[in-house]
Amino acid sequence: MDNGNGCKIGVFLCECGRRIAPLVDLKGLEQKLAQDPAVSYVATLPFACLTPGLSNLRQAVAANGLDRLLVAGCEARILLKKFEGELLSAGLDEGQVDMVNLRDHVAQVSDLSPEDKAAKGFKLIQAAVAGLAALTPTVREKVEFKGPVMVLGGGIATYSAAQELSRRGIESVLAVATDEWEDEIRMLHEHYPGERHYYDRLKEIMKEVDASPYIRRITVGELTGLTGRTGSYQATFSDPTGGPPRVHEVSAVIACLDGQMLNQGSNFGHDGRNVICHTEAEEMMWTLGVPEGKVLFWINDYEAGHPEYAYLSSRAAWSMARYMRSHSPRTQVTIFYNHNMSIPLSTGERAASRQLGITWVPYDGSLRPTVQTGYVTYCDPVSHLECEMPWDKLILSPRRSVGHEALKVAQVLGLEHVEGHFLEQHKQRVRPEMVGRAETILAGSARYPCDLHESLRQGRRAAAGVAEIAATAARGELYAPRMVCVVDASKCIGCGLCKEICDCGGIEPVEGPGGNIPRHVDPMVCTGGGTCAAACPYHALTQQNNTTAQREARVAALARGLAADEVLAFGCAWGGLAAADNAGVKGLKYDPRLYMLRVSCIGQLDPSVMARAFLEGAGGLLLIGCPPEDCHHSYGLDHTWSRVNLLKKLLALCGFDRRRIALAHADLNEPEEYIRTAEAFVSQVAALGPIERTPDNLEKLRGLYSTVNNARVRWVLGASLRRPWEDVYPGNQRNALIFDRDFMGVLSEEFIRARVANLLSSEHRPFQLSELAAALKEDEAPVMESLREMVGEGLIGRMHKDGVAHYVLRS
Amino acid sequence: MIKFKINDQQVQAQPGWTVLETARQHGINIPTLCYHEAVEPSGACRLCVVELREGDWSKVVISCMYPVAEGLNVYTDSQRVKNVRRWILEMLLAECPASKEIQALAAEYGVGSTRFAVHNPEEQCILCGLCSRVCAQVVGANAISTVGRGVHKQIGAPYMIPTDKCVACGCCVTVCPTGAMRSRFDAVRGVPKVVLAHGAR
Ligand code: SF4
Ligand code: SF4
Ligand code: SF4
Ligand code: SF4
Ligand code: FES
Repeated sequence: MDNGNGCKIGVFLCECGRRIAPLVDLKGLEQKLAQDPAVSYVATLPFACLTPGLSNLRQAVAANGLDRLLVAGCEARILLKKFEGELLSAGLDEGQVDMVNLRDHVAQVSDLSPEDKAAKGFKLIQAAVAGLAALTPTVREKVEFKGPVMVLGGGIATYSAAQELSRRGIESVLAVATDEWEDEIRMLHEHYPGERHYYDRLKEIMKEVDASPYIRRITVGELTGLTGRTGSYQATFSDPTGGPPRVHEVSAVIACLDGQMLNQGSNFGHDGRNVICHTEAEEMMWTLGVPEGKVLFWINDYEAGHPEYAYLSSRAAWSMARYMRSHSPRTQVTIFYNHNMSIPLSTGERAASRQLGITWVPYDGSLRPTVQTGYVTYCDPVSHLECEMPWDKLILSPRRSVGHEALKVAQVLGLEHVEGHFLEQHKQRVRPEMVGRAETILAGSARYPCDLHESLRQGRRAAAGVAEIAATAARGELYAPRMVCVVDASKCIGCGLCKEICDCGGIEPVEGPGGNIPRHVDPMVCTGGGTCAAACPYHALTQQNNTTAQREARVAALARGLAADEVLAFGCAWGGLAAADNAGVKGLKYDPRLYMLRVSCIGQLDPSVMARAFLEGAGGLLLIGCPPEDCHHSYGLDHTWSRVNLLKKLLALCGFDRRRIALAHADLNEPEEYIRTAEAFVSQVAALGPIERTPDNLEKLRGLYSTVNNARVRWVLGASLRRPWEDVYPGNQRNALIFDRDFMGVLSEEFIRARVANLLSSEHRPFQLSELAAALKEDEAPVMESLREMVGEGLIGRMHKDGVAHYVLRS
Repeated sequence: MIKFKINDQQVQAQPGWTVLETARQHGINIPTLCYHEAVEPSGACRLCVVELREGDWSKVVISCMYPVAEGLNVYTDSQRVKNVRRWILEMLLAECPASKEIQALAAEYGVGSTRFAVHNPEEQCILCGLCSRVCAQVVGANAISTVGRGVHKQIGAPYMIPTDKCVACGCCVTVCPTGAMRSRFDAVRGVPKVVLAHGAR
């Protein structure tokens, strides 16, 4: 049988030992599915996932020419990957195989009769089948690496990264600002003070880099542009000699950026002469040599508000102290530290410190020491006596920041920067296979404060990661993940909303800095969260092989089959769905009127999917994501909050109860809590009763559906979505009431416009104002207002019949 | 096509199937603990034992890893098999006295108490390693493994510190046969947080 979509779908029901078979009437279910025109083939297997079952699947696919396959068994989270792997050789790619959790969402979790469970399973299977039928599978996208790897940014990790690439036989271009390595070492203390003991090792690395035939060194000006995507980038630099900008074609980029050390303020007595910071102390030693007299290092990071850097500062102080004592025996060195921290020395170093006569003096951290001329007064943590510590040079810890230079490069690279933070990217917590290019391309203390050793290690790590994918690409085996977002350049107007709300960093203008240029997505960076696609005002951005159209098909099929008191739900794989899975595994029983569909992130749900559920007959829609602030894909969860808010407002405009849709949070490890959530919502919706399918209500629901797909509404909604750099939950971000009023205004306007347009388009005849208003049961004034606008925009034509204005939709 | 018998019933299998898979394909139940359909079998718990008989000679093997062969004579519920299972369940009762799942399974075999010494009455984990195999083979995260040695052996992230390798997918919790992973889950997934400084304390 063909289902009209030209695809052939096979459905396999698992008995799973005794875990599904006697609890669900599989025979009846199989018969029902056999009569469904959307299903080409159906069979029941003892265990679909074991070797015998898998060979059954492959045979059935080959014998019946199936190109989509659904296993009604258990958790897709755990077994889908196995099915995908096993069916690849049978010609089914990721996206063409799906699972319904018959065992843990149906068989195990209620006391329904086997027949009723079969009926519930049937509806869930129908929904999944509709989703598969709406799939347009893409071909696998091979990613090629063209050209060498470029190491840029001027950070010191440049050298370790280049060294690692060279050792792995990968060609690289080293973009540096100066050819003089001695200069680099001379200035290194500005970023990494107190690291002299490391310089010899660093020189070795530099020598190796210099001698490597795999490394080409170029002297460049500022990085001004980076376009392209993994495998093929164009990096543009200004010419240091004033010539035209130069463009380099490279396959990958590793950015090595060093953070900047700033001096402390006058509240610590900093004067740049006698009270100085680490970098100034180093500079002084380079130019004037080691000072004589009493040198006091105060590890003042706690008092400066950054206790987390006390470790780094005290290591740097220790290293400088050691240098001072071994080069100038007449200098007395004391390291003065907050008693809340421990001395960061190994046993060997402690001995060396004693031998060199370096004193470590703790102070009571609850009392801030005060700087005075020649003394620091402090409270002794043991005796609680107020003491005075004499000094001739007082050396304070530095303040750490990303630095202006690094920031400029980061901006060109499209790395988001949050004021007061470093460049370390928020990591999406997703499975490694979901990200094409997992390794970060960033190394150095601008990523997060670290010492020289760690910075060089980061460089090596980044290089190793890049080398690995470069090698895979060279073997012709590098493919982009399949469920990533793509932009339809013909629909994209380049508004840039998607890039703003995406924190994968995968969305960039096709070229140049932006403006009205279409965007494209680097499939190797996209993690497939999909909230960007759900936000695009023009539906230009879609998640391939897992589209909004598929999700709409699923809700539509399910909503059509639901009884009046049954409720539709979406659960995300990290929260709601996983909690439901675990409830089933534990055999917990709960209200069976909840029908859950699977999404990988709740943020994937376009408002049009939510609207479609109501349009097709659902009386309630529950969206269960992760606990607040635990979304695994940037802020998909918060974005859903805003979208649900949109739906609530529109339901109210329709005259329906706002409580018919709700967002909820579930911790996968608390299935009992999930059940409370599910049952509370089901009984809430059951108490409201169904939305009657009267012509008036259907007209409004069609208007609601059109409104959520309206570009202006989606724009205003998009503007309100939480950005990755925003620290607070949406409700906190803006003047709640003012925004809400404006938003409501836009919605009421567009809602009426949508309904007017729907009416005119369905009837194909001219209408008078009074007729329109009567049909929509609205006052004439707002209807007239939207008619006037739409005439002005050329969407509607106006003609006069018997002196009365009539309106007709322009084709 | 390989022909042999399970509980005197004639069964058919293909090369490469295991005895457990063949039994399940024919609707014959064999209890398992450390086995999960999504990962490679590891043979850790030995609960899935069956008896192979040839004349008056017989041996006990673990069915989840034992490959099928022509003419085998398999018994899944013989007295000898029951004895071995009871013995295993008794050991498990001592190893993880707090697991409701294990208690229920033991009760099915008429095992209500254990003669072995109980080290930790709170323990639920049988160290079957299913969680870490799922994490490695299905999730690809390699976030957990057995750490420590001997009686201190336990399941967790390295150094028992929440690990940023863990993506908090909960697959380990879902597959754990004893409910043990549920209570140690928070020690693995931790709270997502940004790295501040190398070696910061
Ligand atoms: S796929 Fe899941 S439900 Fe089906 S037999 Fe395997 S474990 Fe059981
Ligand atoms: S949101 Fe849509 S229209 Fe705007 S830039 Fe992104 S893809 Fe283009
Ligand atoms: S936590 Fe569970 S799955 Fe992991 S070893 Fe222990 S019993 Fe096995
Ligand atoms: S939750 Fe963490 S430890 Fe458990 S399977 Fe997932 S990644 Fe592994
Ligand atoms: S199930 Fe076979 S050894 Fe554990």
